Parts: sequence; C-alpha cells; structure tokens
Amino acid sequence: MSGPLELEQVKSALERFGTVEQVRSNRIKVKTVPDKVREALFRAQALLACDHLIQISAMDNGLSFELIYHLTGPHRTVLAIAIELPRERPEMPTTSDILPPAGIYERQIYDLFGIVFTGHPNLKRIILSEDWPEGEYPMRKDWKPKPRTKPGSVGEEVK
Amino acid sequence: MPQVILPIGPQHPALKEPVNFKVIVDGETIVGLELDVSYTHRGIEKAAEQRDFIRVVPLLERVCGICSHAHGTAFVMGIEEVMQLEIPPRAQYIRTIVAELERMHSHILWLGVAAHVVGFNTLFMWTWRDRETTQDLLEEMTGNRMNYGINEVGGVRRDLTPGQITSALSRLPKLEEQIAKYVDMVMNQETMLLRFRGIGKLSKAEALKYGTVGPTARASGVDYDIRRDDPYIAYSEIPWKVVTDTSGDVFGRTLVRIGELQESLGIIRYCLEHLPEGQIGVPAPKVAPVAEILSRYEAPRGELVHFIRTNNTDRVERIDIRTPTLANWTSVTVSLVNQNIADIPVIVAAIDPCLSCTSRITILSERGRKTAEMTWDQLSEYGRKSSRERDRC
Repeated sequence: MSGPLELEQVKSALERFGTVEQVRSNRIKVKTVPDKVREALFRAQALLACDHLIQISAMDNGLSFELIYHLTGPHRTVLAIAIELPRERPEMPTTSDILPPAGIYERQIYDLFGIVFTGHPNLKRIILSEDWPEGEYPMRKDWKPKPRTKPGSVGEEVK
Repeated sequence: MPQVILPIGPQHPALKEPVNFKVIVDGETIVGLELDVSYTHRGIEKAAEQRDFIRVVPLLERVCGICSHAHGTAFVMGIEEVMQLEIPPRAQYIRTIVAELERMHSHILWLGVAAHVVGFNTLFMWTWRDRETTQDLLEEMTGNRMNYGINEVGGVRRDLTPGQITSALSRLPKLEEQIAKYVDMVMNQETMLLRFRGIGKLSKAEALKYGTVGPTARASGVDYDIRRDDPYIAYSEIPWKVVTDTSGDVFGRTLVRIGELQESLGIIRYCLEHLPEGQIGVPAPKVAPVAEILSRYEAPRGELVHFIRTNNTDRVERIDIRTPTLANWTSVTVSLVNQNIADIPVIVAAIDPCLSCTSRITILSERGRKTAEMTWDQLSEYGRKSSRERDRC
C-alpha cells in the first residue's frame, strides 16, 4: 500500500485536461470535457495507478447531464473525473475497453438516462423491465411517474 | 458440437433477488454469459429524490434486506458529512456493533447456502442455528431482526443498556466456538474441499481488472477493504485486521468469509467492552447545503457506494447507489468461462449475489429440437452427481 495521492501529482498528470481540486482529504476531483475522458483515464491508469473504477455516477441537473468517473488504486485516494454532456445530444465514447467494469455501469446509465455510449460492445437494457416503453428515461428530472401504466406487471388481459 | 443457450432464473431458490442468466454452453463447458437484472427494479433512487432526509433513511434500508444497515449507514454518513455534524462516539460504536453483527449474519447465511449448494446439509443446519444468535442480538439491540431502523441523521435511535451489553457478551463465546468448528470443517471436510478447491478461479490480475470488491477480491489477494482504507464510523479506533487469501477460488472465498467472521466477533466484543459514555446523537438541521459526496462503506459483499448530491433543501438532488453485487458481476462472467455446467450453482453462490427465490432452468438446444426444464434443485443435484462421477474416474 503506497501513500495517498498528492494534489501536485494529479495536477502534473491531468491538469492539461481541466481544473484539478482537492475536495477533501482522500478525494481529488478533475473537471474535464467528454472528448478528453478516455485520454484522462489512460493517464490516470498509467501515471497515477488508478486501476479500480468505483462507480460512474450520473445525474441530470436540469440543464445538462453530468457523469463522474470515480477511480481509486493502491494509494486509496478517490480520483473523480467529471464531465457535462449536453441534454440535446447525450453521447459519449465508451470506456469499457479501458476499464472492463465500466461496461455494466454504462449499460445502467444508458437504461436510466438515455446516454448513448458509442463503441460499447453490448449496449442493451439491463435495469428496466423488458416492456418498459422505449425513449422513457426515468432518472431524468423531467420524467414523472405515471401511476396508470405499470410496465413489468401483468397486462389487462390477465385477470 | 453446437453451442447451446442455457437460461437460468430469473427465480432462484438458494439465493435472494432474481436475476436471469443466459449461459452459453458448448457441451458441458461454459463459453459465455449474458445477464438481466431488471426483475427487482423498484425505482428507489427516484423515490429517494421525493422524500426528506428523515423519511429517506427507512426507504434506503429497504434497498436490501440482508445489508440494510449498510445502506442506511452509507447514506446518513454522507448527509452528516455534508452537514458537518460531529457524531458522538457512543453512536458510532453502536453503529459499528450493528454493522458487524450484520456482516456476521450475512456471512453465516452465505456459508450455509454454499454448504447446501454442494449437498452438505449438516453444515447448512448448523449455520442456520448459529445465525439465530446474531439475529437475537440484533433484535435485542435494535428491535428488529432485519431492517433494523437504528440509524438516523445525527446518530442512532436506541441506546444500549448495561444489561444488554452483559447479555450480549455472555453469548459471544459460544458463537466463537461454533466459528472455530466451521474453520475446522472447511479446512478438513472432504465434501467441501472437493467442491470448493480450484473452482471459479480468479487470479489477482483478473480480480483487479474486472473491478471485483469484497471477499471475492480479497480471496484473490487484492488487499482492499474500505473499513481500513477509508475508515468510517468507529473502525479507525478498533484493533482488527483485513483477511485475505491467495487461492482465488471458491475455497479461498470461504476462508476469507470465515476469517472475517472471527474478526467481526472480535470487533463486536471490543466495541461492547469499550463502549464510550455520552450522547447517542446530535440534533441535525433540516436542510443540507449544496454539496456532493461519495460515501463508501464495506458491506458484507464488498464496497458499497452512495453518491449523494444535496441542493440546500431537505431532499437529495440525486442519490446514485452502486451495490457490491453489480461490481462483482463482471468477474462472474469471467470465472464461469471454461467451467463445467455442474459448477454454476457454487460459482454464482460464491460471490454471494443478492438474488432471489424459486428458480427454473430451461435447457434448449440451438436447433430447438430438444427442450427440457430443470429446477434449481435438479441442477444442484446434477452438480453433486457429476462431481461424484468425476471423483470416480
């Protein structure tokens, strides 16, 4: 187990991609743009030993979609790489070839937010039931529950 | 030999929560796996956005029946950090006691299920009896056997009385004795050795590559435990050690879980004996300022993560939960490849997935000529039979 990541180390490796800040002890956040994510993940793996993807957090802030890649490694510091995607064109290159665990997280985000990860080998429904209507993404802020429709339950004809 | 798709699930009698596997087999050998986990999507993350902090804690406890304390604690820890609350040590110790009791009951349950899957029902019965001790302790301390409801933002809701502490301490030696018996059984019992050794192998490099967490990762020699690496509640004050193993198979995962049972028992005893005096909670403000936080927790199955964003109201803007089972699925896909169909139950059970009851397996040949259905019991029986045949050869 090596010591924690220093802010300076992260800055020298990733500052070219955007702003780097120490959020609190043990947490460093890098803000970048969607096109730079793959390169940033490569460098984080190669130079900062960030070999473990904890989570890809996704959220809708009303104006855009935000994705945060949380990485860690033997240094046990959580490095967050954050990006924003425009709502009208939610597309993002996949990272599942760089970090295999990203594959399943990307499928989950695709299902719940409708963000398309281009180049993903198997971008299919995983979380929602098979009769969930196409084009409805429940975790978007403008999606409201429809109490009358119940995907996943027995249909009208079965009584 | 043509490849055959073998659907397993969505219902599953040995484990909890439904999942559907489509296992692609070539003869008896597994060549690929595709899964569908949609069956229990209940929209909890969306529902959590509509509730205030008081009402969201019981909701999140119901994400999972087995690790309910894990979800509750991960969430309140995150909100407390945003609110910059100083939680009294007594509350943190009580949270730790409940967390470790929860880990013990989860691991004992797993050991029983694993023993049952390989046809060793004596151990299954033993574990169920001993698990009652942890359930009784949890019920006495929190009021519930499951979904304990002990947490709230700012502390815990129930204090421990001196009588409860003495009574709990007096029941630990018996449990310790039983765990020692499990260790002996797992190391020496031939039934378990034959079915666990060399099955579902995952090397350290693979475990790292596929992002495994918890006992599955630690059994492959990945020294990774949030309780030590990013200490929360009272873990930094308690003497304990991370259990790892290098064998990387189902046997290793069993050893890690049994080792953790012993460690957990030590932590519980230490906490009960050294329980600090004082308050069990502080008043929490109603609203949380704008912030985002990644709350990490070592649940019985591995690292659990709650990503929380707050927005100056009494509700969360977003809560994104990544459960340990989701992180471990990628590695199951890998550890099943090139294994025998007969070993599916034990390999799937070895990551201790959150799956569910009553299952059906349909065997379909690709040309659709031969269709047969197998229940999970039949598959387990088939596994036992073919492993006996394998030994005879």
